[in-house]
Formats: sequence, C-alpha cells, structure tokens
Amino acid sequence: MSALTRTVTVPALAEGRSDGHVGQVRQFSGLIARELLKTFRNPWVIAITLVQPFMWLAFFGGMMSGLPTSELDTFLLHAPPGTSYLAFLLPGVLSTGMLSVGMFGAMSSIQDKRFGFMKRILITPTSKATVYLAKALGSAMRGLVQIPVMLCAAAAFGVRLQGSPLGWAAWVAGLVCLGLGFSAFFLAITATSTDWQTPGVIANFITMPLMFASGAMFPTSIYPGWMRSIADVNPVGYSAQLSRSVLTFGQFSGSDALYLGYLALFAATMIVLGTFLASRYLKAE
Amino acid sequence: MTTSPAIATESLSKNYGKLVAVDRVSFAVPSGSVFGLLGPNGAGKTTIIKLLTGLSEMTSGSATVAGFDVGRDPMHVKQRVGWVASEVILDDDLSGWQNLWLQAQLQRLDDWQGRAEQLLEYFELATRRKEKVGTYSTGMRKRLEIALALLHQPEVIFLDEPTIGLDPNVRHMLWDLIEGVNTQFGVTMLLTSHYIEEADALCDRVAIIDHGRFVAIGTPDELKRRVKEDFIELETSEAVTPDRLAAIPGVTRVENEGRSWVLRVTSAEEVLPHLFQALRTDEIRRINVEKPSLETVFRDITGRRLEAAGSDVQDFRKFYVNMRRARR
Repeated sequence: MSALTRTVTVPALAEGRSDGHVGQVRQFSGLIARELLKTFRNPWVIAITLVQPFMWLAFFGGMMSGLPTSELDTFLLHAPPGTSYLAFLLPGVLSTGMLSVGMFGAMSSIQDKRFGFMKRILITPTSKATVYLAKALGSAMRGLVQIPVMLCAAAAFGVRLQGSPLGWAAWVAGLVCLGLGFSAFFLAITATSTDWQTPGVIANFITMPLMFASGAMFPTSIYPGWMRSIADVNPVGYSAQLSRSVLTFGQFSGSDALYLGYLALFAATMIVLGTFLASRYLKAE
Repeated sequence: MTTSPAIATESLSKNYGKLVAVDRVSFAVPSGSVFGLLGPNGAGKTTIIKLLTGLSEMTSGSATVAGFDVGRDPMHVKQRVGWVASEVILDDDLSGWQNLWLQAQLQRLDDWQGRAEQLLEYFELATRRKEKVGTYSTGMRKRLEIALALLHQPEVIFLDEPTIGLDPNVRHMLWDLIEGVNTQFGVTMLLTSHYIEEADALCDRVAIIDHGRFVAIGTPDELKRRVKEDFIELETSEAVTPDRLAAIPGVTRVENEGRSWVLRVTSAEEVLPHLFQALRTDEIRRINVEKPSLETVFRDITGRRLEAAGSDVQDFRKFYVNMRRARR
C-alpha cells in the first residue's frame, strides 16, 4: 500500500453538532446500539444467556416435578390445585436470570477498559454518566432476550401460561427494573476495576443468598425467620412474586402493583447511586 | 499578526502519589504544525497526551488545547481533538462503517455520512467498509483509526506512538499518510515516539523528554546542531585501555559503556584512520559511527542511549505498580 489516493477532497461537515440533551441522547443510543450489536454478533453470549435459565428449568424443575402430586400441592400451598412445579419455578428462574445480566454488563465494561475502548469513548465529549447509563440499560436489554425463549421452553414442558396484557406488561417492566438495578449495581462497584475476576467474585458472593432467599425456587412460608427477613427486602423475590401472580395465577392485584413499585424504586436507587459514583470514579483504563 | 497556539501548557505536572510522571512541562505548538515528544518508554509522553485530552487530571499547571482550558472546559476540548492510539483501538465486532457511525454518534455529528465516505475513499478502505474490522490488516486498521480521528474535523490530533510495532513498510506508509493529513487537512499534530527517525522525518519541532521533564526542545536541525561531535562506538578486546583510546588524535572524550567504548570525536572521518593505526584489527570486534542525530542529542544530554533508556525504563513495571497503588 504505497500510493494513497490524494486527489480525494474530503468535505467539511455540513451542519455541525447536536448540543445539549439531543446530543446526549445520540451518544446514549449509539452506545446502547453498540452493546446490542456486539451481543447479537456473538452467538456464544446469546447461547449462554439463554441456556443458563433453561437448564434450571430442565434439571431442577424436572427433578422436582417428579414428586407426588399430593406433596407438590401441599408444598406449593396457595397455588391452584394441579399447578405443576415448573409453572411455579418458571417466574423465579426468569427473575434470578437477571442476576447474571448485571455480571455480564460489568464484564463488558471491564473488557472495554482493558482493550482501550473506554479511552476511545471518553476522549470524545461523552460524559461518564452517559457511558454508565448506556452500559446498564444495554445489559438489562440483553437479559430480556431470554424471556421469549424461556416462555417457549416452558410451553414445551407443558406449562400453561396465564395473565392479561396489563399483567404481562407489568411483569416485563418488573424484569427490566430488576435487570437495570443489578446492572447498575455491578457497574457501580466495578467502576474503578479492570480485573476480569471482580464481577464473577461478586456474582458468586451475592447470587446464592439472593436466589435462595427470594421465593424464586420455594415458597417463603417454609423459610426460617432470618431467611424470610432477607426475602422481605430482596428485589428478586418481589420480581418472582409479581411474575408468579401474572404467569402462574393469572392475576395482577394491588399488591402486585406494589411489588412493581418496589422494583422501580430499587432500579431508580441503584441508577442514581451508580451514576453518582460512575461520574466521579469511572476509569478509562 | 499573531495567532494563538493550538496547544499551550504552563508548568504542566502530573503526580501519582510520590511518583512524578510529568514535571512542570511548558510548551506551545503553533496551529498547523507537527510537534513531537521524543523519549524512552515511561518518560511521560503518553501521560502528557492523557492530560491534554482530559483523560487524566493534571496535578498542577495549566493547558489550553484549541483555545479551551483543558481543566475547565474538557468537553469543548474533546470536541476539537482526535486521537490515534499506540495500540489500534477499534471495535473488532463492528464493520469499518459501523465504527465510523459510532464515532459520529459519540461526537454528536449531524451530517457525517458524506465526510465518512470520502475519508474511507481517501484512506482506500471504501471497498471493505461493510466488513468486520477484525478481518482488516494492521495497516488498514491504523488507517481506519486515523479516519475516525479526522471524522469530526478536529483542530488537533494526538498520535501516541503511531507506528510502534509496525513493520518498516507499514511504518513508512503511515509517515507518508501523516504528512499528507497534516498538509491536506491543516490539522495540528502532536505525536509521541521513541523512534528517532520518525520524529526527524515528521516533526517541525521536537521536545526530548526524560523522567517527565523536557530536556531539550527545538526543530530537529536546531537540536542536532547542539551536538558538535560525532560518536564512535567500539567493542574491543580486553587489551584496549582508555589511555590508548584517549591518545588518538581528535578524540575528545572516552566513555565506557558495558563492554564497549563510546568515543566523542571532532570528526569521525578524520579520526577513523588514526583509530585504525592505533588499534590492531584483531582488537576491534565491532565499530559503529553516529553522526549528529536526535539520538546523539538525547545521549549528549542524558548520558544514555534512547533505546537503552527505554529498556531499563527506570523499573517500568515498578512505575506502574506504584502508579496503581497511588491511584488507590
């Protein structure tokens, strides 16, 4: 490549830039689109995101479904007679799946720092808060990919799904809030980190207590008192409750609206806190 | 008529804890010129770029880039600067066009497509625009990176070791390109390098930097004129003593450097015949003559070779370990 074409006249920009909020929205949407493009260009990421909750449903759900129906009816307590354990488990698995979404979001951020792409972003007039929010929303959106596949898998396992359009909208909104909250949390505590292992270590540390002390797998009524206390504030539990009301029991009551409100509050708190931390401490490398 | 410089710093400093990475650096770069920072690895060149682009906060001093104060108006500065990294930084999962699109989004550009297309044509990447960047050759990736840096019409481009690790053919192609971009686009450039010939070939002015401080600044010719002597490097048998070398006519100084000698001489052409008379051929294992160059300037000022200084880097790893500790 020795002779470059030097005769080309490169035009000046015709109009210039979008300032203020329009410009920020452009940066934000560009970064989210990049996250999604990268996700869908990497089949392994999609496969793992999809397979992980599916395996819970297949192995754990399959094993528990083998219990005698009378035992299950007693175990599931307030569930309508004949409710399968899979129908009980599905909403819980979809909720706990959002925990790993946060971890993937943080790993994507660390990858950008290690390969220098965070420098490329931050050397443009893009604020750290915009980068942070785009990462959080991008990874939450990635988590939603598992929903349709899980629903199809559940239907294949013979689960009959209930619910009204309003209930389903509330359920999806709840999952988005949960995913956003955990993405925001993971991204905030890894804002200064470039260590691949950090998100995994944090995920290992918090996933088990949040998953089991949530009512996602079993009714909280069988928990000891201390675990029930954790479940009372655990957003995974509220998301599982909301999902179960809508998908398994076909209801969307006032208490379910409160659950949704709690999840929205969790997401908002994490985002505000995370934005504050990221705008000060997010490192370029 | 005077025009304000594209880059100006006043006592610019950056400390990482007790470690001084940049030490009271002051310089000005006129608009449209190419300014080089020449020094070994770890000398503080990249840190200066980070400070001037707002990626890192200065400890003290001040700097303006494209007329804006870096400390007070970093976003205005970032709208007006482009950056080419030492390691190619592109999103390999995206195509060339998608990388340009993302850059346009981040720079908040309204009407960028025409310019992007022309830049791809200029850099001879138009036919590969839809292919993933991961499939590009190193030279193509570098060219795309320069196109990204130019997309938003920056007033200043920072090139951080732009040809490090590239083979000579690609390196010379990039030199050609950098010169072309400077003249055709009228962009001010600040480039860092530890390649003497690169700074010599591309820069209007050069600052030699060592341990975070500017030790010399001027045009390459001015700097070379500072050194009035030639250098002769010798590797000899053990029988050769400093006294024998010092006695050779025209030798002004004898320095011992490991197993070899460095002779400062008035003129290599005049001294070499005397040297071959004074030493037997079997006593000379290697001989190397250096005429005044930026390398000899660095050596004259610091007493070290640029390459050797880069390899020891004053405990390069230790530097970064300390830097990370200081950040915590």
